[in-house]
Amino acid sequence: MAGPLVSIRNLTVALPAGADRPLAVDDVSLDVGPGEVVCIVGESGSGKSVTAHAVMGLLPRGVTATGGRIVFDGVDLLKETPEAMRKRRGRDIAMIFQDPMAALNPVVPIGRQVTEQIRAHRAISESAALKEAGALLGEMGLKDVPSLLKAYPHQLSGGQRQRVMIAMALSLSPRLLIADEPTTALDVTTQAQILKLIKRIQSEREMSLLFITHDFGVVSDMADKVAVMRHGRIVESGAVTSVLGDPQHSYTRALIAAVPRGESQLPPAPEARPLVQVTGLTKRFRRGGLIFGGTTTVAVDDVSLTLSRGETLGVVGESGSGKSTLARCVIRLLDPDAGTVLLDGADIAHMKEGALRPLRRRIQMVFQDPFSSLNPRQRIGDIIIAGPRAYGEDPEEARVRATDILRLVGLNPETMDRLPHEFSGGQRQRIGLARALMLRPDVLIADEPVSALDVTVQAQVLTLLDDVRRQMNLAMLFITHDMRVAAQVCHRVMVMRHGKVVESGPTRDIFAAPSSDYTKALLAAIPGRQTI
Amino acid sequence: MMDFARRFFSRPTALFGFAVFAAIVAIALAAPLLFARGPFNIVGMPLLPPGAPGLLVGSDVLGRDMLVGLAFGARVSLLVGISATLCAAGMGVLLGSVAGYYGGLVDDLLMRVTEFFQIIPSFVLLMVLVAFLQPSLESAVIGIALISWPQVARVVRGEFLTLRSREFVQAARTIGMRDAGIIFTQILPNALPPIVVISSMMVGNAILAESALSFLGLGDPNLLSWGSMIGGARSAMWVAWWTTVLPGVSIMVTVLALNFIGDGLNDALNPRRRR
Repeated sequence: MAGPLVSIRNLTVALPAGADRPLAVDDVSLDVGPGEVVCIVGESGSGKSVTAHAVMGLLPRGVTATGGRIVFDGVDLLKETPEAMRKRRGRDIAMIFQDPMAALNPVVPIGRQVTEQIRAHRAISESAALKEAGALLGEMGLKDVPSLLKAYPHQLSGGQRQRVMIAMALSLSPRLLIADEPTTALDVTTQAQILKLIKRIQSEREMSLLFITHDFGVVSDMADKVAVMRHGRIVESGAVTSVLGDPQHSYTRALIAAVPRGESQLPPAPEARPLVQVTGLTKRFRRGGLIFGGTTTVAVDDVSLTLSRGETLGVVGESGSGKSTLARCVIRLLDPDAGTVLLDGADIAHMKEGALRPLRRRIQMVFQDPFSSLNPRQRIGDIIIAGPRAYGEDPEEARVRATDILRLVGLNPETMDRLPHEFSGGQRQRIGLARALMLRPDVLIADEPVSALDVTVQAQVLTLLDDVRRQMNLAMLFITHDMRVAAQVCHRVMVMRHGKVVESGPTRDIFAAPSSDYTKALLAAIPGRQTI
Repeated sequence: MMDFARRFFSRPTALFGFAVFAAIVAIALAAPLLFARGPFNIVGMPLLPPGAPGLLVGSDVLGRDMLVGLAFGARVSLLVGISATLCAAGMGVLLGSVAGYYGGLVDDLLMRVTEFFQIIPSFVLLMVLVAFLQPSLESAVIGIALISWPQVARVVRGEFLTLRSREFVQAARTIGMRDAGIIFTQILPNALPPIVVISSMMVGNAILAESALSFLGLGDPNLLSWGSMIGGARSAMWVAWWTTVLPGVSIMVTVLALNFIGDGLNDALNPRRRR
């Protein structure tokens, strides 16, 4: 084999003054050979994206490469003029991004966006470029290409958009493709398809691929070589089989250990009298149409479930499956259109707000987004005692209780005087949990509580949720899109699709012998299921 | 807070605006101490030019000291500007937050009322109101507040519409907080920056409106204001420029300073516009 196509040597990238650390990338060396797939894996803030952007010559303003070389085919990219780099982008090196919606121009039809890219580098006519674009989109497995070329980005699904992005990246046959978390924003079944597509294209075209991800499952499916980054440094690198099979560095071991296994460890919960009984729950959303009807979407369609003390029921589904709407109907943030929600025998689905208020404290919720779920202008102490105060508890007594609860969720009670922005995502989720627990609830609804967190933090929060559930004998409704996560904390699982329940039962049984095709597809789509 | 002050004063225009405004406030507060005889006291011949003995900026058509008039005029302008803005902001925040938080029918109704005030020519409404209520300081404040609140209500409603779907607001509902608590302790503090910015600009607009009223003779007859100074001197405009230009410049500088402050606040309070 000839020498590497890209050779990063002692790359150092400085962050602007006032950042949390001086260097984004610290003395990183990495080779990508021709036709080779190299994964850089790491948690948020590890410098993996900055490394990729440095290769592309697209570092954010204020962030500069201060040392080292990036040699691409014999040329040091860091010494290239901006104009020379512009010519290389797209032609020699192409990139696909995490969020295809943000990367596509919303007011330009798909066809034009692809041809623009082609014609920026090659002197060919619009119609010839359009023909090429059509062929490329077909190659990406997209159907009905002629109408797709005329469509606008918002009319496409997430998976379709990412396929268009890949087609654009490939339109000039680059020799290096950089993929920056290209499947993180996608549903798991779509993710599996896109990964397969990238892999197929890469081997057909014998392209080099630099793949950035946080998911070791994806690494094991994609990579030839892998580099593990932490705090801007590479802590371990090598062939994927050796790194995954025999990790040397303790951080790599911790990362791999934190990947949920997708195997159920919890025994089914003992049969008990159900605390929550949902029957025939239906929620429709109407859009527009004061005069002309408008459209109605059935977000939750005749869903029934039961939930007992001490057990966790997982509601699993992809985006748009209605799982979050279901949760919001159960906790009455939304008013269901039909069906009943019995809490200890009382139907809360159609209760008036006044009658409902005393019952609200019994059902609490942990939200998905650790950044928007805490009021940025309130101190932690005030946030978590707001609930008890709303129910008339003495603020001083509540504060005393708050210190215990904060300790329970693994936070230092002295943090009560701080503001939310001083905490990390994982810590914020703990604060959100503390807020819920302050009301001594019977039912805890967790709506994707770990999907915004890094994998090691994710594992800690999941363990905490399970501990709390056991200690306080809570009934937990756990909403997630991730089968692996569901397997780890749920006694029973309910799979939803298009607002309907596809399948439900004990987690073990569902994972061992799924009865519906959809569940089978979900399980098959889990990345790295064979190797990790 | 220190951080905020540093960001605010790092803009030269904001610093200028703040300094000028502070000086005007100081003059307004000190006026009765410096000029115990009041603005209506005749001190000499009419239309003496600036620099005449004892008259730094000249005298007006009735032989009153222009300097005293300007100092006392600042009192009226600031008093009307600030109190009208406070009333308007209070009304706008209340109606805007209720409309934005509850949405639906309440929102529709309140927004139609807001639009009603926005579509009628506001200065005509103001004149009619003040004439109807008898010209006085109070009627000017009420009138100006009535024509200014829709702007605040619109902005507040917009903020509430986006903030109410944030998860911390949903969380406040699930922990059993009442609507009033959610509106005032959860959402409003997060909506404050645009309210503060728009209010600082509104003070300027209110001062302009008061000056226009006084110019037309609809100001408080017992008080001398910048607008009434211009109005009273307009016949002498061609022979004694200082009688109209000086109060005019006072209005302009004050309003400019307030707009600079508003811009500075906007940059300092809005993290997305920070460079």
